[in-house]
Amino acid sequence: MNKVELLAPAGDLEKLKIAYLYGADAVYCAGKKFGLRANANNFTLEELKEAVEYAHRLNKKLYVTINIIFHEKELEGLEEYLKELGQIGVDAIIASDILVMKKIKELNLKLELHVSTQASILNREAALFYKDLGATRLVLAREASLEDIQDIKENTGLELECFIHGAMCTSFSGRCVLSNYCTNRDANRGGCAQICRWVFNIEDKKDVFSMTPKDLNLIEYIVDMVNVGVNSFKVEGRMRGIYYIATVILVYRRIVDKIGTNTLSRGEIQYYLDILNRCANRDSTPQFIKEIPTKEEQYFLGRQELSNQDFLGLVLDYDEENKFVTLEQRNYFKIGDIVEFFGPNIETFSYEVTKIYGEDGQEIEIANHPKMVVKLPIDAKLSKYDMMRIKVFDKQDYL
Amino acid sequence: MKTNNYLIVVTNEDLLELKVKNISFLFPVTYYSVGFLKTFKLEEIQTPHAYLYINRILDKKAIQNLKEDLKKIPSCVEGICFTDLGVVGIVKELNLQIKLIYMQNHNTTNALSINAYLEYLDSVLISTDITEKEMKTILDVATKPLIIPYFSLVEVMYSRRALLSNYNENFGYSKRQEEILHEGISNQDFLAIENAYGTILYAKKFIDYRNIEHENIMYRYINPLGLTKDAIESVLNGEDFSSISDTGFLYKKTYYRLKEEE
Repeated sequence: MNKVELLAPAGDLEKLKIAYLYGADAVYCAGKKFGLRANANNFTLEELKEAVEYAHRLNKKLYVTINIIFHEKELEGLEEYLKELGQIGVDAIIASDILVMKKIKELNLKLELHVSTQASILNREAALFYKDLGATRLVLAREASLEDIQDIKENTGLELECFIHGAMCTSFSGRCVLSNYCTNRDANRGGCAQICRWVFNIEDKKDVFSMTPKDLNLIEYIVDMVNVGVNSFKVEGRMRGIYYIATVILVYRRIVDKIGTNTLSRGEIQYYLDILNRCANRDSTPQFIKEIPTKEEQYFLGRQELSNQDFLGLVLDYDEENKFVTLEQRNYFKIGDIVEFFGPNIETFSYEVTKIYGEDGQEIEIANHPKMVVKLPIDAKLSKYDMMRIKVFDKQDYL
Repeated sequence: MKTNNYLIVVTNEDLLELKVKNISFLFPVTYYSVGFLKTFKLEEIQTPHAYLYINRILDKKAIQNLKEDLKKIPSCVEGICFTDLGVVGIVKELNLQIKLIYMQNHNTTNALSINAYLEYLDSVLISTDITEKEMKTILDVATKPLIIPYFSLVEVMYSRRALLSNYNENFGYSKRQEEILHEGISNQDFLAIENAYGTILYAKKFIDYRNIEHENIMYRYINPLGLTKDAIESVLNGEDFSSISDTGFLYKKTYYRLKEEE
C-alpha cells in the first residue's frame, strides 16, 4: 500500500501539537488572515513559524489555508503574506481563489499548491484546469463518489485529498451565501453563520423545513479509498477541541496502520465507528461516496447537537515512582466511576476510580471543578497528553 | 462603448417572443442545469445567438456525456455559460469556436481574480456578493468586457441533495419541486427548486442593478424566474419593481469577523 497521509485540523498551537502527537502526518491551519474560519483563534506568523519548525522536527508537514474568496480590500498584503509563508517553510497553501494560485506561480515560491474543496472539483477536466495553474494536489468536493475519485486519479497524475470525517455543508462548499443574506456575514470570507442548520417555514406545511446534514464518516470506505488512489485523508474541524481531535485522529491512525498491515477486522471497524460517533456531537454517515444522500443523511428539526461530556481529564504528568497520574479535570467524575485512558502510545485500558486527591493532597470524592488538578493512583504508565474519558465501549466485545 | 445587450435566461418559452433589441437568450440545458423547472434539450435550441447554460457541478459521468453532446452543438450557439471549470478543457479539446463565460457568481469578487479567469475565458459574470464600488473597480480594470447582474434572481445555495424530496418524503407530503422557504429570524424568503441533480435556493427578491452603467459591459444578465414576458418588458423599460426587488449588497457591505459587526 502506498503511504497515505492522515491530515488533521488545528485551530491553535495546542491542537496542532495534539494532532501530531495522536498520529497526524500533516496538519492544516490558518493564519490570522485569509482563512475560512475567521472566528477561530488561528495562528500569528510567529506561531506558524513555530508550528512549521515543530512539524519538520517530527518529519511531518504543515499546510496553511488561504481559502477565502477575495474582495478588493483583502488583496492588500496577500503577496507579502505568501512570501512570508514561503520563507518560513510552510509545505503547501490550500487555496480556492484563482488569484492565490496565480501568485504562487508568478512569485516562484517554494510552496506547493493544494486546491481547496471550495473549488467543488468532481471531474478530471476541472482537475486538469487547476493542474495547469500549478496545483500538485486537489481537495475534492465532499460530493465526490468513489468513481469520480478514481477517474480523476487515473487521468491527472495529481495527488488527491478527500475529507473522511467531520461536518458537512448542505451545499457544495463555496456555493452558498445564505449567511450573507440572513446575517450579513460573508460565508466565503470565513463568516458563515451556518444558516443551513436553522429551520425554515413553508406556508402550507405544518412541519418546519430543515436541511441540516449529518456529519461525514467514511471509516467503512477507507480501504476502497486507498485502492482508488487517495493520497490524503482529511479530518474536518478547525473549531473543534483537543478531545475530538485526539480521538478522531487516533482512531484513523490505527485504522490506516491496520490497513497497511492487512490486520483490520470488521469488529474493529465497528468498535472505532462507535467511538467516533460517540465523540462527535452529531450522527455521521458515509454521505456521497456511494450514492446521493437520502432523507436518512440529514435532520429534520434543525440543530441536533448533543453536548459531549465524555472527556474527563487531560494527563499532565505521571509519577512513576509513586504511581500517580496528575490530571487536569475536563468534566465531572467521582469515586466509583469506570473510565478509560487512551493515548498515542498506549493501548486503551479501563480503570475504576477508587481514590481522588486534590492538589493539596487531600482525598476528595468528586472532581467537579473545571480544569481542577487532581491525582489518581494508577499502576499503568501514562504520558503527558494521554486522556481519560468515560468508558462506554469495550473493544473485547467487538473482537 | 456603452452597450445595452441583455442576456436573459429562458425560464419559460414565452420569453422567446420578447420584442426587445439586443437580447441573447441563455438556455438552461436539460441534464446539465439545476435550479430551473423548464430546461431545453440541445436539439430544441434553434434561436440565433443562443447561449447554453450549464450550471451543474459535473461529475465523471456528466462530464463524459457533455463531451459527447457538445460534438452535436447547434450552429446557432454563440457560447456557453458555465460554473464548472471542467467545461473549459472540453471546449478547447473539441476546438469549438464559441464564447466561454464563467458564471460562478460567488467566485468573481475582485478584479485581479477576474482578470486571471479572463486569461482562459471570454467573460465572467460579476458577483452579486459585492458593493457597487467594488463592482465599478472591477469593471474599470477588467481586461475584457464583463457580464453584470441587471435584474435577476440570485442563486444563494446549490446543494447536490434532494432537499425538497427528502423533506416531503420524511413528513409524508406529496412531491413538489418548488417551495418558498421562510426564515423567521432574518425574515428572508428563499425560492427552492429541485431537479434530479440537486436543489438551488434563490433569494426571493430580485436584485435590481439597473442603475449600473459602464463601458466595459458585455451583457446585462437577467434570470427572470417567475416573471412573465410582459413584466420583463417593463423591467427593460425601466419601470418600478421595488415591491419585488432590492439592491442586494450594492450598498451593504458584508462582514466576516464577529468583532467587525460590533
